[in-house]
Amino acid sequence: MAKFDPFRGTRVPQQVPRLVAVFAVAIIGLLVARYFLVPDTFGQLGHYRAAALDTIVAHEKKYAGQQACQLCHFQIMQKRLAGNHKGVGCESCHGPAATHVSDPAQIKPSIPSEREFCLRCHEYSPSRPTGFPQIDPVRHNPMSFCSNCHDPHAPEPPVIPGQCSACHGQIARQKAVSHHAGLECTTCHEAPEEHKVTPRLVRPTKPTERSFCGGCHARDADSPPHIPRINLRLHNPRYVCWQCHYPHYPETP
Amino acid sequence: MQGYIYPNEFELHWSILVVVYPYVTGLVAGAFILASLERVFNVKEVQPTYRLALLTALAFLLVAPLPLLAHLGHPLRSYEIFLTPNRQSAMAMFGFVYAWYLMVVLLLEIWFDYRKDLVLWARQEKGLTRWIHYALTLGATDLSPRALSFDERMGRWITIIGIPSAFLLHGYVGFIFGSVKANPWWSSVLMPVVFLFSAIVSGIALVLIIYMVSAMLRWKPVDMKCVDKLAAFLFYAMVVDFSLEMLDFIHRLYESEESIEILSQMIESRLFISLIVLQVALGTLLPMITLGLTAPALSKRSAVKLPDELKRLIYLGSAILVQIGIFSIRWNVVIGGQLFSKSLRGLTVYKLELFGVEGLLAAAALLILPFVILWVLVKILPPWPEAEAKLPRAEDDSGAVTGAVPLR
Ligand code: HEC
Ligand code: HEC
Ligand code: HEC
Ligand code: HEC
Ligand code: HEC
Ligand code: HEC
Ligand code: HEC
Ligand code: HEC
Repeated sequence: MAKFDPFRGTRVPQQVPRLVAVFAVAIIGLLVARYFLVPDTFGQLGHYRAAALDTIVAHEKKYAGQQACQLCHFQIMQKRLAGNHKGVGCESCHGPAATHVSDPAQIKPSIPSEREFCLRCHEYSPSRPTGFPQIDPVRHNPMSFCSNCHDPHAPEPPVIPGQCSACHGQIARQKAVSHHAGLECTTCHEAPEEHKVTPRLVRPTKPTERSFCGGCHARDADSPPHIPRINLRLHNPRYVCWQCHYPHYPETP
Repeated sequence: MQGYIYPNEFELHWSILVVVYPYVTGLVAGAFILASLERVFNVKEVQPTYRLALLTALAFLLVAPLPLLAHLGHPLRSYEIFLTPNRQSAMAMFGFVYAWYLMVVLLLEIWFDYRKDLVLWARQEKGLTRWIHYALTLGATDLSPRALSFDERMGRWITIIGIPSAFLLHGYVGFIFGSVKANPWWSSVLMPVVFLFSAIVSGIALVLIIYMVSAMLRWKPVDMKCVDKLAAFLFYAMVVDFSLEMLDFIHRLYESEESIEILSQMIESRLFISLIVLQVALGTLLPMITLGLTAPALSKRSAVKLPDELKRLIYLGSAILVQIGIFSIRWNVVIGGQLFSKSLRGLTVYKLELFGVEGLLAAAALLILPFVILWVLVKILPPWPEAEAKLPRAEDDSGAVTGAVPLR
């Protein structure tokens, strides 16, 4: 069998044409692949397929944008823009609402009703910047949905309650109908202002001795005469008074 | 987690696969540069490892892109970087660096080096191997002195082109990290250079390991002159590499940018084991000192006289430690660069998974795969000196086969 070798006798070494052929096949293969595989509009506008823009534009619109809501929900919009949620768009809470805008009567957007929803942004996480309002959901008024206490469209930062009754409602209501109705809480408790902000950290004082009640009820006490008197030395001396008389609703047992 | 980190930094995006990738490319570049030593600078002692080093480089090069493909997903789209080259993207240009290195440097060099043997093997063998070897010659069966000297000259030229290409291949990987301006752990002009020298260190150590283990498996004596020389080279490369890294380190300390605090915090806590213990103590200082003492690196004779068997064990142990050290370097660069917050105010943790594409097992598989490929390559292209075929007798310059064992 005769050997096929077209370069025989020429000065080009045998290896060269073989390698050139291999590389030629690779390069031509690449060019052919380029011709067939690179999309027509590639590179027209940048390093991408220009027709991709049309594909994206053709996508169905899901979000209407908050300008759209303003038209019909003007009040909520104004309220939100003035409040702490001014940076949170309507549809980040109510979900995509483009269909609602085009047919408000038939299609209603969702309304969040789970604590988990607000917690997405407000649950304590060390990666959130300090100062961002965060809560511990286990301790923060569990079992109740957030908007029972906070207006979702204009949530307020915590207001410090003015009265003890804001938090100690039951005691206040009892005292109000008791013989001690005329006494201020602070007559018996020294309550620092910080107690209203961080009640568990700063605690008011409580009376600790019999002589404290004696200040009004003892025989020789310097107090209004209509106050009932006892003999502080003889009246059940081995106990403190509130073991028998509930101070917020004192009765004579 | 400790301190403050941005929400998108909590999880690391570049996993262990991205650690494997520079490690493997480093081995490729290193093994190739070792092979070039013999060819260009005529270091006769390391001749027995020349072909082995080339095949090792090829085996690891074939695996080098796999961790990236696995990490990025969508491997079926990868060819597009060749179809629509993006010159703005350093990462996309890697495809071309890789292709150049594979096609023009490594495959060509191996082909020219093996061509004579391929022809002769094909003539002597029967069956499948004969056809494989014949196909690999591409039909260029001319064994005339002129053709052989052409092989030799081309091989030399390719090696000369190959050295800068190997530098490019791995320097490029360092460039990718070094050019991330926003990351103080990475951003450094020294990065490509440090990567390159650590690559040379790892490549020499790898070839040393493969050479000694393969000799053991084949019941062949280890050429002591050769391993001595390799160990000496390994030592030199380690000295340069370590000095460069110290230079980088001191430079950072002296510059003392605002990131220095969080970085030192990271080194003391998160990277203590992998950087101080594995990379510096066990992976660099210990093998460097042992090699400096046992290998004939500083003078003609080694400082400590030891029997050959013990010396081989020490070389092998040091080379393995070096591998662990280099892998730790890659780990510390890739993982370390993502452990601290760009706010410089906190550290996160990397949780390595076991299963899954980005897991430990996948990484281990990718590190074992090159050895499997190498095994196949060695079967097809035996790199051992005794496998080299002898020319039957002189052939005339016309290229006609007049030998006793004709091809057909
Ligand atoms: C064309 C006027 C119109 C626009 C624009 C509009 N809405 Fe409405 N929306 C309505 C009407 C009408 C109702 C029904 C009120 C009712 O049933 O009491 C409604 C009800 C709602 C409700 C309550 C649904 C319920 O179940 O009670 C939500 C929430 C709501 N809209 C959100 C949005 C958001 C968010 C946008 C902006 C993307 C928006 N709307 C834009 C007209 C509009
Ligand atoms: C922080 C999340 C949040 C944002 C932002 C928000 N909403 Fe609401 N919205 C709610 C919740 C929660 C309710 C249910 C309130 C309740 O249960 O009392 C609600 C109720 C409503 C209702 C029906 C009840 C009502 O109060 O009339 C309408 C209409 C409405 N939102 C419209 C809007 C529009 C328009 C915007 C943008 C301007 C908006 N919302 C932004 C959480 C949000
Ligand atoms: C029972 C009423 C109630 C409920 C239910 C409630 N909160 Fe509050 N929330 C309060 C009060 C009162 C304060 C202010 C006192 C305080 O800090 O504890 C407050 C404070 C806050 C603050 C401000 C904390 C800060 O440090 O600035 C946020 C945020 C908050 N709540 C979110 C929520 C979220 C989210 C939910 C639902 C998971 C929720 N709240 C449920 C009553 C409530
Ligand atoms: C998309 C994220 C997001 C969601 C969901 C969200 N909020 Fe907010 N919330 C904010 C932002 C942002 C602020 C403003 C914080 C600031 O001023 O620094 C804020 C402020 C608040 C405040 C004021 C606290 C203070 O101390 O200033 C309260 C209370 C609050 N949100 C309650 C809620 C409740 C209740 C819900 C669920 C209906 C909710 N948030 C859902 C992002 C969100
Ligand atoms: C913001 C809500 C709040 C307000 C306002 C408030 N308290 Fe309290 N207070 C608490 C809570 C909560 C506790 C219970 C702490 C505990 O048991 O851990 C408490 C506990 C107490 C105690 C018992 C302390 C103890 O060591 O057992 C006294 C006394 C008291 N409050 C008095 C007052 C008085 C007086 C006022 C008005 C000046 C007042 N508190 C206002 C929330 C409040
Ligand atoms: C006549 C004095 C007196 C007045 C007035 C008074 N307290 Fe007390 N209070 C006491 C005494 C004494 C105790 C301690 C009881 C005990 O240790 O069992 C106490 C205990 C408490 C406690 C903790 C134990 C409990 O019962 O929950 C609270 C809370 C408390 N007072 C709140 C109030 C509030 C709020 C007011 C005002 C509405 C008020 N007190 C008015 C005397 C008084
Ligand atoms: C600031 C003065 C004052 C102090 C202190 C005081 N009380 Fe009184 N106490 C009164 C007044 C006023 C009345 C109601 C007199 C009346 O009904 O006209 C009263 C009534 C009573 C009664 C009688 C109820 C009845 O059925 O008539 C008892 C019991 C009592 N206090 C117990 C206590 C105890 C226990 C303490 C200590 C914890 C205490 N008081 C501290 C002012 C005081
Ligand atoms: C062991 C339980 C007990 C203790 C402790 C106790 N009391 Fe009494 N207290 C009673 C009983 C029972 C009565 C009604 C019978 C009586 O008049 O002796 C009463 C009656 C009173 C009366 C009404 C007297 C009247 O004339 O209407 C006052 C005032 C009073 N106590 C104040 C105090 C004070 C102040 C203390 C603490 C110093 C105190 N008590 C401790 C059980 C107790």
